[in-house]
Amino acid sequence: MTAVLAIARNTTRQLLGAKRLIGFGLLTLSPAFLFFLSSRNVSPSRLLDQFLGIGLGTFYIIVVPVITLIVSASALGDERRDSTLSFIVLRPIARWAIALAKLGSAFLASFALTGSGAFAMGAMYGLRADDWGYVVPMVVAAAIATAVYSAVFVPLGYVAERSTLLGLAYVFIWENGVAAVTGLSSTSPWRIGYSAFYALVPDDGVRQIEDFGVPGVDGGISDALTTGLIFLALSATVITLLLKRRDLA
Amino acid sequence: MTEHRSSDPAHVHDATVVVERVSKWFGHKVAVSDVSCSFGPGVTGLLGPNGAGKTTMLRMLTGLILPSEGSVTVLGSAPRDDVAVYSKVGLVPEEDAVYGFLTATEYVRYAAQLAGVADPATSARQALQRVDLLDEADRPLAGYSKGMRQRAKVAAALIDEPQILVLDEPLNGTDPVQRAHLINIFQDLGRAGHTVIVSSHVLEEVERMTNRVIAMVDGKLAAAGNVAAIRSAMTDIPYRVRVDSSDPRALAAALVTDEAINGVEFEDGLLRIETGDLRTLGTKLPVLSRELGVRITGFRPEDESLESVFRYLVRGR
Repeated sequence: MTAVLAIARNTTRQLLGAKRLIGFGLLTLSPAFLFFLSSRNVSPSRLLDQFLGIGLGTFYIIVVPVITLIVSASALGDERRDSTLSFIVLRPIARWAIALAKLGSAFLASFALTGSGAFAMGAMYGLRADDWGYVVPMVVAAAIATAVYSAVFVPLGYVAERSTLLGLAYVFIWENGVAAVTGLSSTSPWRIGYSAFYALVPDDGVRQIEDFGVPGVDGGISDALTTGLIFLALSATVITLLLKRRDLA
Repeated sequence: MTEHRSSDPAHVHDATVVVERVSKWFGHKVAVSDVSCSFGPGVTGLLGPNGAGKTTMLRMLTGLILPSEGSVTVLGSAPRDDVAVYSKVGLVPEEDAVYGFLTATEYVRYAAQLAGVADPATSARQALQRVDLLDEADRPLAGYSKGMRQRAKVAAALIDEPQILVLDEPLNGTDPVQRAHLINIFQDLGRAGHTVIVSSHVLEEVERMTNRVIAMVDGKLAAAGNVAAIRSAMTDIPYRVRVDSSDPRALAAALVTDEAINGVEFEDGLLRIETGDLRTLGTKLPVLSRELGVRITGFRPEDESLESVFRYLVRGR
């Protein structure tokens, strides 16, 4: 257990360097700032529309996947590229334990950023509309989406040299393009997270989201959690197998 | 421990690491080809020029890469299949691979935590003390010189006193004082019964650490065993001997026509003799010395150093 915690602690610290904290800190707070600026002269009836539009179009579709891609793909990818992975794998630690430590720390590091952005966005709406019912749904949805993206991007970072490029293609071409029109949209990580948001928001938010007509976000919180757990279990299995079988040349 | 093959110098009788007909290829490139050897307690040098396959071999010994053919067993287990064996293996990789954002103390303590050491902080301090890095241990590794990072890597590998220590070019970047210090550590470990496998292309380094070498050239086992024994097995390659005497010119004139002598060089008062039969030369010189009234003050084979053995091996391929 000490070894697993040590890997998780060290990886989280590695993933959250000062430059990343500043850069991604600004990125994750930018939707909240954008909402703050754009909602100054907006009527109360349009405030929710504005909030949900920026939350969906900017935060969940762009900010969460981009931050999680860069951070999570580094969890194993940087160690492989820097040749530090042998420091971990040549220890008497089960490969599944290393996989869980890496997945867990990738999620924690990513969520430290995306969760802050989600909280800031919800809190900004709370300040503007005096309605604090969106803070928890924002944070829960960000947590679920971040976890599912981490499950995809940690192994991707390990196997692919150009994981950032492939990850961006996954997000913008597959997830928001092909999957959205081929009936596979319910496997899209941000939609899985947004399903939880949809299930948790107050009634006025539900009506507004239904008006947006976003496909693949009607599964509810339990479906979102179940799908998220399936992604994480699959990811842990894949990482374990990769650590067991893949050469570290 | 594994059964030995008594006559094969590539094998030892008390092997802890056994390599059986191992080959490794990456695509069409053959990195290691049909190598069999074993390593036991003490220091063994794994020698070869750059690209000889040493690093690939060491990575297979530790399970970082799997052989394409053949098998590697460490303490009776295949490392990939039994992670418990890693509690007895330490590696100092060739790459300058450390976590730059950690201090040396944090880095070695991390190694201790991963190894499951009971008191990581104390063990880390002791390991850093051992490599003479304790005074600088609270600085981030990113600001260290290469030699200091090498010592931090050695400290991390030594954290749980592994039974088997694999060192890939461990002295790279170290200054002469640090080098001597690290060599002492490796020799002490070897004397204490640890299996220490050191790869290097700097032959002088290995020569200072050990007498037992396994030489690889072009991915193949070129020679194995004691340096002098390897040299004497290469009967087709003449020996070079330097002879110091009171009259080298007279000695040279007497030797130049001898059948056992391949050549004689006389330069700056020094006599160098090339012969394929060192024993005959050794019996002939005292006789000539008496007959010619020449006093022989020195007789030294010049090419039993690893450098020359190695040069022959490479040239022969």
